[in-house]
Amino acid sequence: MKLGLYIFSIIILIISPFLGEISINLNELFDSSTITYKVFWDLRVSRVLLAFFVGGILALSGLVFQIIFKNALITPYTLGIASGTTLFTAVSIVFFPAMILSISSAFGSLVTITILYYISKNINKNTIAVSTNSILLIGIALSYFYSSALMLVFYMSNLEQNYSIVRFTLGSLDTVGFTSPFIIFIMAVIMYITIYTNRSKIKLLLISNDTAFLKGLSVHKLNLLLLIVISICVGVSISFVGPIGFIGLVVPHIIKLIYKKSADQLILPVFFYGGVFLVISDLISRNLNTASSLPIGVVTAFIGAPFFVYLLIKRNKRS
Amino acid sequence: MLEINKYKSDILSDITFSLDDENLIILGQNGAGKSTLAKVLSNLIQNDNVKLFGENLHDLSDKKRAEYINYIPPKLSIFDEYITLREFLELSCIDQVDNKKIDELIDILNLRKLENKYCKAFSSGEKQLLLLASSILHNAKITIFDELTANLDITRLKEVFDIFNSAFLKQKIIITHNLDLAYALKFKILYLKDGKIEFLGKHEEFFCNKNLKKFYNDSILKINEHLVVNL
Repeated sequence: MKLGLYIFSIIILIISPFLGEISINLNELFDSSTITYKVFWDLRVSRVLLAFFVGGILALSGLVFQIIFKNALITPYTLGIASGTTLFTAVSIVFFPAMILSISSAFGSLVTITILYYISKNINKNTIAVSTNSILLIGIALSYFYSSALMLVFYMSNLEQNYSIVRFTLGSLDTVGFTSPFIIFIMAVIMYITIYTNRSKIKLLLISNDTAFLKGLSVHKLNLLLLIVISICVGVSISFVGPIGFIGLVVPHIIKLIYKKSADQLILPVFFYGGVFLVISDLISRNLNTASSLPIGVVTAFIGAPFFVYLLIKRNKRS
Repeated sequence: MLEINKYKSDILSDITFSLDDENLIILGQNGAGKSTLAKVLSNLIQNDNVKLFGENLHDLSDKKRAEYINYIPPKLSIFDEYITLREFLELSCIDQVDNKKIDELIDILNLRKLENKYCKAFSSGEKQLLLLASSILHNAKITIFDELTANLDITRLKEVFDIFNSAFLKQKIIITHNLDLAYALKFKILYLKDGKIEFLGKHEEFFCNKNLKKFYNDSILKINEHLVVNL
């Protein structure tokens, strides 16, 4: 199954820039004076790259958040990081139009994770273990707070700003040229290297925070490093493509069910298939022959949710 | 060398005692504060009151602390479903992974057939043997065992007793409800009641009929150098 899936994914990645509303004439692919050339390279290839790296970042962020907070339901989305990022982006659209969106997004993401981490540390004073239920509850409370604040920003915005906020929250992988994919690629590299170089420490966290502490790991330092790096990378990703849900939850679980290995050995597969998952979702959203492409968040949830439930049922039947 | 000085919390009141290099058994009813005391001694509950080998536990570097003290919980809890026994034992080594020692322990504890199985699926008894193996690999200067023998059958209990009684581990602090084990090990005894130290002293002093009556009412008696439970 692993090899088949791998080959299938590579094929998808290669053919996906060729599929879309405008058909690609293979002879004009390398002739820079043609429309085909522009559509293929500047719109399609850059879009596929953007989707791949964003998907990888989101999937990997889910995997690591679940390890840090010891809860299989936790992702940057369930913790309110996406809504925090959305709120800060909306605020900057309405009140600080000159500000670069990525900076306010990354800031929103960081603020949210800092609030969460310090509240949870205060709840569990003097102990190493984190109470995952309280974190999840705080995350939900924060999300509600952020959504209400977002309503307020909507209320105070004019029609044009209103429209840009709505478009942003729907999520979109539209991109022209290679600037956005390149920035996201850098983010992905930073995040991947941070996680990969710490994988032996992360493996201790896979047992429990107490055990990791007893084996001489500075649990708080490691958690903080991972949370900060991931929050910034997720924040920047969201600023480019909007809040795309579900990948961080579904992909790590699917990969675990397929590979049956401890999470520290799944860093590469989770990143890779996270990317592939978003590329496939995007492919579907672009090719449904609707008037314009569907919001990408809709598609990820539509494929992700049923497939996830199917895998869970299949697993429970076997055991 | 372990010292705890005037530790107070909701559960424990004014705990002060010190140990040289002797082993210790901690006894007490459910809810007396035995596990809490163990967590305080290992700094899982952070505090400023414990000194190990003359150094304040709170100020030790993470690595040094791991070399000094280790706590083995009553239950193995593993977050990740796919950690195998072998991987778990590799993680238990705080310095370099000692594959020879791991293999040796797997054979001693009869765990070979579980080597590449996922820890989550083990029985409670198997998990406790795994914890024992992990403590030996960690090899801290002081190891605290919290109810390690609770789910073991008699033959396994004997194996664990032999390991406790051997030089496999350095200094041991053993929390248990199993008085037969406590009696046979002949370590120093600490008895906790409602968060207070009610007894700290030699094994022979604790296991006399006067003290047994005091701490366990009439439920246990010493007859011909054997403990007999009176149900």
